[in-house]
Amino acid sequence: MTPSTQAAALRELPATAPPGDAPAAANAPRAAAPSRLLRLLEGASVFAALLAAWFVASVYLPLGDNPLIPAPPLVARALVDSLPELWAGTLSSLTILVPGFALAVVAGIVAGLAVGTSRHLENAFLPFARVAAPVPPTVYIPYAIAILPTFKLSAIFVVFIGAFWPVFQNAVAGAHALEQRYRDNAAILGLTGFEYRLRVVFPAALPHIFSGMAVGLAFSFILLTVAELFGANAGLGRFVQYYADFADYPRMVAGILYTGLVTWLAMTGLDRLRRRVLFWHK
Amino acid sequence: MGQGLSLSGVDFAYDAAPILSGIDLEIPSGQFVSLLGASGSGKSTLLRLIAGLQRTSRGHLLWNGEAIDGPSLERGVVFQDYALFPWLSVVDNVAVAVGKARPKSGKAERREEAVARLKQVGLESAVGKYPFELSGGMRQRGAIARALALGSPLLLLDEPFGALDPVNRARLQDLLLAVWESATPKKTIVFVTHDVDEALYLGDRVVILGSTPGRVIADLPVDFPRHRERRALLESRPFHELRERVAETLAEDTLRQLVAA
Repeated sequence: MTPSTQAAALRELPATAPPGDAPAAANAPRAAAPSRLLRLLEGASVFAALLAAWFVASVYLPLGDNPLIPAPPLVARALVDSLPELWAGTLSSLTILVPGFALAVVAGIVAGLAVGTSRHLENAFLPFARVAAPVPPTVYIPYAIAILPTFKLSAIFVVFIGAFWPVFQNAVAGAHALEQRYRDNAAILGLTGFEYRLRVVFPAALPHIFSGMAVGLAFSFILLTVAELFGANAGLGRFVQYYADFADYPRMVAGILYTGLVTWLAMTGLDRLRRRVLFWHK
Repeated sequence: MGQGLSLSGVDFAYDAAPILSGIDLEIPSGQFVSLLGASGSGKSTLLRLIAGLQRTSRGHLLWNGEAIDGPSLERGVVFQDYALFPWLSVVDNVAVAVGKARPKSGKAERREEAVARLKQVGLESAVGKYPFELSGGMRQRGAIARALALGSPLLLLDEPFGALDPVNRARLQDLLLAVWESATPKKTIVFVTHDVDEALYLGDRVVILGSTPGRVIADLPVDFPRHRERRALLESRPFHELRERVAETLAEDTLRQLVAA
């Protein structure tokens, strides 16, 4: 501070809190909020265009006779008729997806933070992770079915493998990205060992971890449906495969659309959770 | 060994480039020392060495006769960059320090103590708020409250008000002095700044670091009586004379570097 600015500070020292000491949120400029309706319309435009193209293709073009492209009204009717069966399939699929994904998240976070904060563990595990992570989890499916006692366990295992690596890798990256100022503060406050990992590294790595969870959840749905094509007697993937085998394409397309909707709902739920947990991450 | 901070022959190099060279310094307990120097003179590095966040290349650092070989609750630090944990509310940030200072205290007790510390720095209105909801000045008050809650007898401040506007800067300088002067026994403070007025207004003594590599080029007592009145002091003749002397020392060092280059 130069003498002149210091003198200015002296003169301007107010009796009440100055504007500069007001909470940041109060001073933050308000961004012009885009119209909610406009955003909704923009978001719906691609869906509407695709639906129109599908309708035209199935009804008016020569390939309209092709049973592989059933008209939207047919699919809508098949969807309504199949809702009880799809709902039962959803519950069946969730009994695979939830434990597989949850286990992957817990194991991925614990292992990722341990490896990301320990040079020895990093030296030991990262070479293996670099080899194992890129292997497409789908290649494990036949072996998992052969080696594990039930189909459900095999499918849970494959979902676990698919979701584990993205969570693990992002947890490691989050631990590595911890800012030096937080490391310094933790050291000054005497936060070490498990307490340091739990109270400093874990929350700081959460933005990375949620990115990994989003990728892992998308993988989980892919692997779940693929695994169900192999040998399930219920579930969303099984529904699509079953009606494809009988050339019931309206129901098959309805199953695809329904699976997309369930996936979208799950991804949206995860995103809501992310926003709630990371409210401090601006 | 005496009570206080003792540095003898401290060198520090980064990738073979010397940053600090031959630092000798004796700071008795309870003294407020301003560490002044141009950017790149190694002030912050010296503070990190005293905090135990980095190791010296050569030389000895002692606090109350014991070697400094890592961070310790004996030495609290306030950094420039508002380093409160953003995922914790302000009161929880301070409660972490209370928990470390008094490990046997219960959760309610820690919170009560944390609230008291926040009141001490005029932040009682922001107890439940998160750092992102606060201005820079409020965040730095929170960081000071956390350092106070740690109960460290040695407080190290690394340009804590460097990013604040002049009005808030003056307010926090006065707050720091009030807290320091009212404590018994007084904490030992090492306050890093590149602002001459701030160094003289706050310190009992000003240690000036020259650049390339950082070394002590002047160690001046600041004999102005305590319970300093800002306006009267800053406009006084002795203050102006001392400021001129400090400014000349810094200018001579800059000139020496230019000639050497």
